[in-house]
Formats: sequence, structure tokens, C-alpha cells
Amino acid sequence: MSNYTDKIREISERLLKQGKVDMVIGFKKGTVPMMNEPCFVKKPEDISKLVWDSHCGINLANYLTDRKEKIGVIAKGCDSRNIVTHVIENKIKREQLFIIGVPCEGMIDRRKIASMFQTGSETEILSVAEQNGKIIVRTKDGEKTSERADLLQKNCALCVHRNPVIYDELVAEPVAEQKNIDRYADIREIEAMPPDQKWQYFDDLFSACIRCYACRNACPLCYCPTCFVDESRPQWVGKSTDPIDTKTFHFLRAYHCAGRCTDCGSCERVCPVGINMRVLTRKLEKDCFESFGWEAGLSLEQRPPLDVYKTNDPEDFIK
Amino acid sequence: MKVIKIDKKDWARGLDKASGAYRLFGPVKDKECHHFKELDKGELPDFNFSNTRLSAKAVVFPQTEAMFEYSLDENKADHHVMKECGKNDAPRAVIGIRPCDAFAFQLVKRNFDNPEYRDPWWVKAYESATFVGLACKNPCETCFCTSAGGGPFDEKGLDALLLDAGEHFLAKAVTEKGKKFLQNAGWNTETDADIEALKKDAESKISSVVHTDRLKDKTTMTLYDAPFWEEAAFACLNCGTCTYSCPTCWCFDIQDETHGKSGFRMRNWDSCMYPLFTLHGSGHNPRGTKIHRVRQRFMHKLKYYVDKYGDGIQCVGCGRCIRLCPVNIDIRNICEKMNSYEL
Amino acid sequence: MSANWEPKIVAFFCNWCTYGAADLAGVSRMQYPPNIRVIRIPCSGRMSPKFILSAFRNGADGVWVSGCHPGDCHYLEGNYYARRKFSLFKNLIEYMGIEPGRLHFSWISSAEATKFVEVVTGVTDAVRALGPHEKFVKTNVKVA
Repeated sequence: MSNYTDKIREISERLLKQGKVDMVIGFKKGTVPMMNEPCFVKKPEDISKLVWDSHCGINLANYLTDRKEKIGVIAKGCDSRNIVTHVIENKIKREQLFIIGVPCEGMIDRRKIASMFQTGSETEILSVAEQNGKIIVRTKDGEKTSERADLLQKNCALCVHRNPVIYDELVAEPVAEQKNIDRYADIREIEAMPPDQKWQYFDDLFSACIRCYACRNACPLCYCPTCFVDESRPQWVGKSTDPIDTKTFHFLRAYHCAGRCTDCGSCERVCPVGINMRVLTRKLEKDCFESFGWEAGLSLEQRPPLDVYKTNDPEDFIK
Repeated sequence: MKVIKIDKKDWARGLDKASGAYRLFGPVKDKECHHFKELDKGELPDFNFSNTRLSAKAVVFPQTEAMFEYSLDENKADHHVMKECGKNDAPRAVIGIRPCDAFAFQLVKRNFDNPEYRDPWWVKAYESATFVGLACKNPCETCFCTSAGGGPFDEKGLDALLLDAGEHFLAKAVTEKGKKFLQNAGWNTETDADIEALKKDAESKISSVVHTDRLKDKTTMTLYDAPFWEEAAFACLNCGTCTYSCPTCWCFDIQDETHGKSGFRMRNWDSCMYPLFTLHGSGHNPRGTKIHRVRQRFMHKLKYYVDKYGDGIQCVGCGRCIRLCPVNIDIRNICEKMNSYEL
Repeated sequence: MSANWEPKIVAFFCNWCTYGAADLAGVSRMQYPPNIRVIRIPCSGRMSPKFILSAFRNGADGVWVSGCHPGDCHYLEGNYYARRKFSLFKNLIEYMGIEPGRLHFSWISSAEATKFVEVVTGVTDAVRALGPHEKFVKTNVKVA
């Protein structure tokens, strides 16, 4: 996947030189291992900034919201689905975009790599390299080599739409989609718990939350001018680290993404304390699929599930 | 002062003794990271960390802190009167704080404790604290404390410095407070051990160098109008991770919460990254865009603070914002850009 | 739980149907448990997830939302949209640990005073059986 960089640069340079776009949004090499920084390139001579590797987990659709320029945007499968959602929700026009599609084999999970070395004392990761499907992690105590497939972000391991659903040009041939993936094994486990145990589970899940809102802000779906947590008349949720307020925030944030979330994993990836809030969004994803046959971001023609109805929608829960 | 040697088998006993006179705080691992908490009786601080995920600032300046309480129940004599919340100001000892985090309190002190204004809660909590620091023998790649006026063995913010020397700890009292703590713990075996060499070794391991020497000579407006902010701010998500993890970020927001007939006034950490931070009652927002907010954070730390206090940047080089920023905005790069910028 | 505890139930009724049914039940002198606090809304489609959460956060033991039968919406399709939102909401809040008997939905037309009495009795019994709600309640706990 790292050989995509050349092709991305080639396409981007062409687009900028031909004046087809005003800017290209992509990634530049980060200053610490396993991190790349979303960036824009406006001039063909800056094109060498753009890179692609297994650490481009941030969803670039988030950087398109309400932009007025013509933009070339690099999109993995999940990014492209969020671009579809953005177009449907009028956050950007399809005509403004030149989508440089990236067939994706999944991003590497920084936390999994960090935990490989958590034997007693903390070990700093000095570099992470990739070679022939293997990931070579170097620390000051030495190197460890692992299978790339074992180190994927949790959402990538479950991904069934690795190839972009819309694009103007692909940087490589489509990759094989993962088959026979059970996306909801963990969700069913939680569903099967008795209520008190569920409550405990989420108490524990969110106990470390510092209400920094990184999960909300990294999400391309969260673009409300005023988020409900910032509303003061009335104030729906308190500002403190009270556990009920924290749960209210996470509940409503997830609910707001119902029928829109593509499980791009940005929320979990950016969390400074490693909370897997995707167990909420994926529950909604599962219900949307089971109740309404819906998967987000696959078509520009279909309206999202909470924007439409069927007269025979399930209603066995209604008296 | 003389260096004291603490045999590791005397460690738990000493802390237990000290816990009679102090509330003990220390780093503890919970899930994937270490954080500071008040230690339970018999609980030991876990020193298997390079640094805690969040800084130790919450020990003195909690994320949520009750200031006043009140009752709206007219049957009560003192209804509708704000009463200061009782606080536990008993002496506390912060064991295993890194020198950078301890030094940060010195920078923050200028804001909370100065001739014009003394924040009662911060000051009381700060004054009740004895900082027993743990020297950094293996700094991270992202640490740049030596460029920010500190160092891995820096004693400026500490009352006592601890050093893990394998079989035993070495301890050095820096202030009277620190000396008292060591006495309370019953550690008094003096030794001739020299920590200078270890200090030099640790300092030499700091690979990040950041230049700050020219910041003070720049014109504020030149930096403010510099063209690099658009690019620097592009990736920013405007989350509060950098500010909440930062040991020197001190901003807070005051809120009343009423439930039924009783309520309290509290303060919560706030962040200049949030649009609400500067939103006026009129609806106008003077820092209405992401670029405004990102620029504010760096200008405050690296220019306004420098000019106001004339004693360096408002950053201790702990590197947390670099490690935790979800989109890799690196304060070292921004600082270099600001330091070298010429119109 | 004290012996004389009575459940508090916040009931959101559509102006065009269930609210009328409650009125009809009242003028018809029908008896039903007095545990509901009625809030009139213009349409079940107006229900926001924040309303339900706010009720629970402020100490409601149960929440009940009732609107017009599908096809009978005063605004033609408000309740159809609402139905999808309710289904996801109910699943999610129960997934987080709220007991299934705390949150209820119904369709009751303004003529169905008898159904209204049946449902209000059923809802009250279900919430009573669960006892006081203590999970999603924001109490004024002092921190630090």
C-alpha cells in the first residue's frame, strides 16, 4: 500500500497543473511514529509533501465540510462513504470534488503496537516500518516483527468496503474485499448481558473519558454549528466529568450518527485515553441494517434511513 | 543537602509512615495508561511509566472543582446564600511526579498566585502539596524539557527528588518541605552517591532541541499575521486533547448546577480550542475560526506569556501534546516556525 | 424502596390524538393510575431523543411517548419518521442498561379512551414492577 504515494503525487500534480482543482487534501509524514498529519497542497511544487502508508487513519471527509474550493481529495473506502454522506447532506457538492480513490488494506492500530511492548514497564516506539506484509517495530530494546493482518485497527479488521464506493480515479487496482466477516460479535455479547451488567460495562468503558470531544471532532458526521453539549438554553448535559453527563454525551453523540456512521474508526483512533466508543455506533449500524436494510454511504441516490420511512417498518415495540 | 539512600524494601514502609501525615498521590496504571490519583491505604505508586497520560495538574487543579454550594429551600435559614465548599487542605504529597510536571506548577503559579490576584482554591491546594519528584532516566523522543527551561533531573518545582537506582532509591531534599517529608517517611541513611553523572547522562538522551531565543524579539503582530497559521491549523480538529493534557494550561469555565432545591457552583477545565470559549453573549465570536483558535494557543504559550513574564515560554517540554494530538500537530515545529519567522 | 413509593412517569402525548384520548378518558370519568405527568407535543415526530434523556436524567422512573396511528398523522407522515427514530432510540438506551420496561411507545387515537386507560395502566404497572430508576439520573453530587 505504501507504493500508492507515487501514484497519489502523480495524479495530484496533474490535477493542480491542469487547474482542475484548487487544492489536494491528503496526508503528510508525521513527526512521530504511526502518525501522519492531514494537509493540503495548493502548488504543484509542494506535491512531494503527500505520502501514503498504513497510518492514514484520519477520515479526510472531515476536512471537506462546507468548503468552497474545488478539491482533490484522497479517499479510502470509509472516507469515500463519508464523502457520499456529505454530498447527500449538502455539506459539499460532488462537482467540487475530484476523488482520488485508494483501495485500502486497513490501517495499523497504534494501540495494538504499543501494547505489544507493555510487559511491565512502558516502552517507547521509535519507528514502525512495513515490508512484504510484515510490520517491523523498533524500540530501544530491539525489534519485533509481526504480521500486518494482526495489527489492523479494529474497525479495519471488520471492514467490508475497502474499495472506494465513488471515485474519479483509483491509485491502484481494487483490493479483494474481506468475506464472511462477522461485524457484530462483540455487540451481540453486550446485547445478551442483563441490564445491570450492561450499565456496569458502559460505566467502565467511559470511566477514563476527559470530555475533550476528540471523538466528536474527528467525526465527519459532526458538523452542527452548535453541538448539543454547547447549548445552554436549555442545557441538555452538564459540563463536568460527572459520569452521567459523560454517558449522556456519548449516548447522544452516537445516536446523532445513526444511519450515517461508516465505522471509519476515527473516533476511537483519536481518543487520547483509548475508549472504544464504536460499540455504540456499531450497535446503531447493526440496528439500521437489521431494521431498515441500510448501510451508510453506499449510494448517492438513496436517502438516509432516518430521512425516509416505509409504511411497514418494524413496530412490535409500540403498543 | 546530602543524598539519602532508600532501600527498596523500606519503600512501602516509609510511604505507609508518611501516609500518617500526608494524603499520598501517585501514578497508578488504569487500563492502558498511568494517571495520578490519591493512593488508597497501602497502595503503592507504580513507577513503570515514562510519564502519565495526563499531567499531574489535576492534583492541584481538578478538571471539575466545586467552589460554592447553595440551597433554594426557603425553609432553610441560609437559603439563597453562596457558601464556600469545604475542602480537604490537609498536607498532600505527590509521589513520582516528573520534574517537567512539577516545574509546570511554577509557570502556572504566576497566573493563580500573583500580587493582583490569588485564586484561593489553587493556592491552598498548591501550598498543601509536597512534590516528591521522580527523575527521568529515559526521556521520550518527544521530550524537550531541556529546551523549555527544565530538565529530566530539574529540581525547580520539586521539594524532593527521587531517583530509581535499581536496588534502591536515591533521594535528595530540595526544600524544607521535602526534608520534612523524608523525615516523616523515616528515610535518613545518608550516602555519598553522586547523581550528577546520571543527570548528565539523562540530559544527553534528550534528542529534541527547540529554539525559543528569538521569540521575545518578534513583534506580536508580525507573528500574529504570519502566513504559516493556515497550514499549521489545517489538520486541527479543535478537540481539547492538547489543552487538557497540558500541565501548563490553566483555563477554566464556571457553571452553576442546580438539582431540585440545592446546587453548587463549580469550575471545569476549559479549552481555547473550543468555539464556546470566546463566544460573546451577543453571538459574536472574536475567535470564530479554527485558525484563530490554533494561533491563540501557540501565541499564548510562545509569545504572550514570554512577553508578559519575561522568563521563557509557557511550556515545560513534556511532549504530551505531541504524543496525544490526534492529527500530529507538533508544538516543536510551530515553535521553530515562530522563532525563525522574519517578515 | 420506601413502602409508599409511587413511580413518576413522564408522558409525551401528541396534541392530535393521545392528548385527546386522555381528555376523553377524563371527561368520561374513567379511572386510571395518577402516575403520569403529561407533556403535550405537536406530533410524535417532534420528539427529540434529548427529551427522553432529560426526563430520565431528571429522575423520571419511566417515559412514555404516544402518537397517532400510522396513516393518521395530522401532518401526514410525522409518526412514520418518528417510528424509525424510536426504534433505534429504544434499542440503544436498553443496550446501555436501561431496563426494557422503562420506556414505552404507543399509538392511541383521540377516540380510544379505553385503549388509553389500558396502556396507562400497563405502563404504570411495568414501571412500578421495576422500582425506582437510579441509573441515568443526574444527582447533584459534589465533585472534588
